[in-house]
Amino acid sequence: MALIYDDAQRQIADECERILKAGFSGPALKELLEPTGQYDEGFWQLCVEQGWTAIAVPEEFGGLGLGLSEQGIVALACGKAACGAPFLTTGYGVVEALKRFGSEAQQAAWLPRLAAGEAKGVICFSEGRAMLPDVPAVRFDNGRLTGTKQAVPGGAAGNVGVILAASAEGPVLVLADLNGAETERRILPTFDNSRVAADLSFNGASAELLTGHGHDAAKTILRLLAVVIAHEQVGGAEEVLAWARSYAVERRAFGQPLAAFQSIKHRLAENYTAIELARGNCQYAAHHADDPHFARFAAAARISAIDAYDMAARDAMQVFGGLGGTWEADLHLHQRRARTLALEFGNSMFWEDDLVGELRRAN
Amino acid sequence: MTSSGSYVVPTETNIEHYRATARAWLESHAPRYGEEARRGLSEDEDLALGRAWMALKYDAGYSGINWPKEHGGQGLGPLEKVAFEEEEMRFGFPTGYFAVSLGMPVPIVLRYLTGEWVLDRAKAALRGEEIWCQLFSEPSGGSDLAGLRMRASFDEATGEWHLDGQKLWTSYAQYSDYGIIVARSDPTVAKHKGLTYFWVDMRSAGVTVRPIKLADGSHHVNEVFFDNVRVPDSQRLGRIGDGFKVAIETLVIERHHASDPAGFGPALDLFVAESAEPDANGVSLLDDGRVRERVARNYALQNGLRAIQARGQLMLGLGIEPGQEGAINKLVAARARQRLSEFVLDARGTSGMVWNRGVRSNDWVGSWLTVPTARQAGGSDEMLLNTIAERILDLPQDHRPDKGVPFNQIPK
Repeated sequence: MALIYDDAQRQIADECERILKAGFSGPALKELLEPTGQYDEGFWQLCVEQGWTAIAVPEEFGGLGLGLSEQGIVALACGKAACGAPFLTTGYGVVEALKRFGSEAQQAAWLPRLAAGEAKGVICFSEGRAMLPDVPAVRFDNGRLTGTKQAVPGGAAGNVGVILAASAEGPVLVLADLNGAETERRILPTFDNSRVAADLSFNGASAELLTGHGHDAAKTILRLLAVVIAHEQVGGAEEVLAWARSYAVERRAFGQPLAAFQSIKHRLAENYTAIELARGNCQYAAHHADDPHFARFAAAARISAIDAYDMAARDAMQVFGGLGGTWEADLHLHQRRARTLALEFGNSMFWEDDLVGELRRAN
Repeated sequence: MTSSGSYVVPTETNIEHYRATARAWLESHAPRYGEEARRGLSEDEDLALGRAWMALKYDAGYSGINWPKEHGGQGLGPLEKVAFEEEEMRFGFPTGYFAVSLGMPVPIVLRYLTGEWVLDRAKAALRGEEIWCQLFSEPSGGSDLAGLRMRASFDEATGEWHLDGQKLWTSYAQYSDYGIIVARSDPTVAKHKGLTYFWVDMRSAGVTVRPIKLADGSHHVNEVFFDNVRVPDSQRLGRIGDGFKVAIETLVIERHHASDPAGFGPALDLFVAESAEPDANGVSLLDDGRVRERVARNYALQNGLRAIQARGQLMLGLGIEPGQEGAINKLVAARARQRLSEFVLDARGTSGMVWNRGVRSNDWVGSWLTVPTARQAGGSDEMLLNTIAERILDLPQDHRPDKGVPFNQIPK
């Protein structure tokens, strides 16, 4: 893990970007926007073939044993491609949960399958508006889950979930195989349908307890996930800024390129600034995963990345003029993804509160 | 200033050792020269304390850290310099008077002049005995440096130049012994081409310095009038007509310096501590989501800058020149400081009007009053955005109607 990438890390970054760029297809991604419950199987297979699913898994479980920086590097490339499935990053969350809070048996049962892409991991913490409900409506009693988690990213196709549930001992994290008959999925229509969000209703599905205090453990997972997703957001922002830049240089109005107008130049320069701040925060957080202040760095990464991606997507559409708002121009792929990633796993209000909570604790 | 050839890039361990040693030394002197010692001093007393501080640093081997040894420096590199500056900044020592002097004017004259005289000047400047100012900006423009109007006419008979005109925003000119100046030697050619660069003695006949009172009542910047000031040709730096080139060379000399993510305003931690305190009803400001939002966003900006700076330092340590993303530092830091300072006053309600003028580190009112200047000095926000757009994003230059036009034909 490094604040400056070493040769191996740079190689991963270049390789991911090359492969994903070659496979990027706006028309194919747009085909996933209107139907519900469909994700890009080709992208997922690529993740498996390239070993990206194995990155965070320890070597003894068939993984590559790499850290948060490498997860971030891959996520950034996926963000650039506005990739058509959420399981790579949500899977990292499940892997981290197993590494930190799983028993040896749980690790042995799931980590090899997650590394090999045979299982898709999803994170089921939030309920309604609450990222981490004080008393979750989903309950875990006597090894069985009851209740519903709404709008779980990847919920339509995940095989294994880490779930925040209420129990007689207070909130806990549990691990559940989602393929049983006692788990019902209701696929939801969303503005970014390849995220395959679904309500998951547990009608007595069996689950296993993970260690750790429920909320603390959930926060630990969310913070790690926040850093990965922030990288993905930076990738998306960077890509959409590149589109806006190219368009502004090529398109002419009033006898000169759009990019010669200060209003456009400054807009793009502000975007660049926001993206570099977010990138700095991302790398810093990934580099300091074991630092006592990691929680602040993770929240800072997430807050600045949400801002940067939203801003870049919004401004690119402005630079493109009327064309920006068309189905054809593909910009809405990033407009949608910027918002999806802003909502999944804690919105900016959640991370602002988390960050200030951490700063306050120090006082 | 480039370091001498013998400099070896330090390892991370060595730099941390250097930093720790420096910090211990700084700490031991903070009570006599730091923030607390300066409280209530008149400006003259403060300057005198500053001069004493510079001499102490010189004797201890903390002067001109990245200057070559032959110029009186320590022969170390940018990493040591920045590490020292970062540590020194924490204690509020009276170093402001000497920052421009040692940052640009003295290094540039050391590049163009040789011999005993200039080495004596360097030593005197390092020890705080003499101060140099930089006479660039003029009433006609600050951002448009090449548009300056100060006239330099050469008198063939005496071999002297005559300087006439006015400079503006010259920091600490009132305390300066010498200055560097750019003037127009040929108004019949395009604006960048007709400039020539000199060093001047600020005690020369015809030089008048008038301090400008800024919005907070301070007056560290000045107008400087030149009324037929005679400058021997031996004081010219660079060739006639190369003044713009030397000016740009001057501005990029100090590429590596400590930056403050707080934009040289109070630290966010102070506001967090203040707003965590419960009031008489047991409610604290941080219980308000609007306050939390401001705090969190400011933290995220500052941490982003800290991360970019840390990455840049690591790259320097590896002997790689950092990327250009450092260019966003002042733009972001000054704006963030402005928003936060305004908000701190807001959050205090009517008591936010109270201004106990104090030392800078906890003076939110002073920070708010002076930050508009910070958004101009060293490049306005607009110029910085242009720089990012043109140099980093490779977007076209702005339309410049005066490009290639002889200076005396540009409409005034």
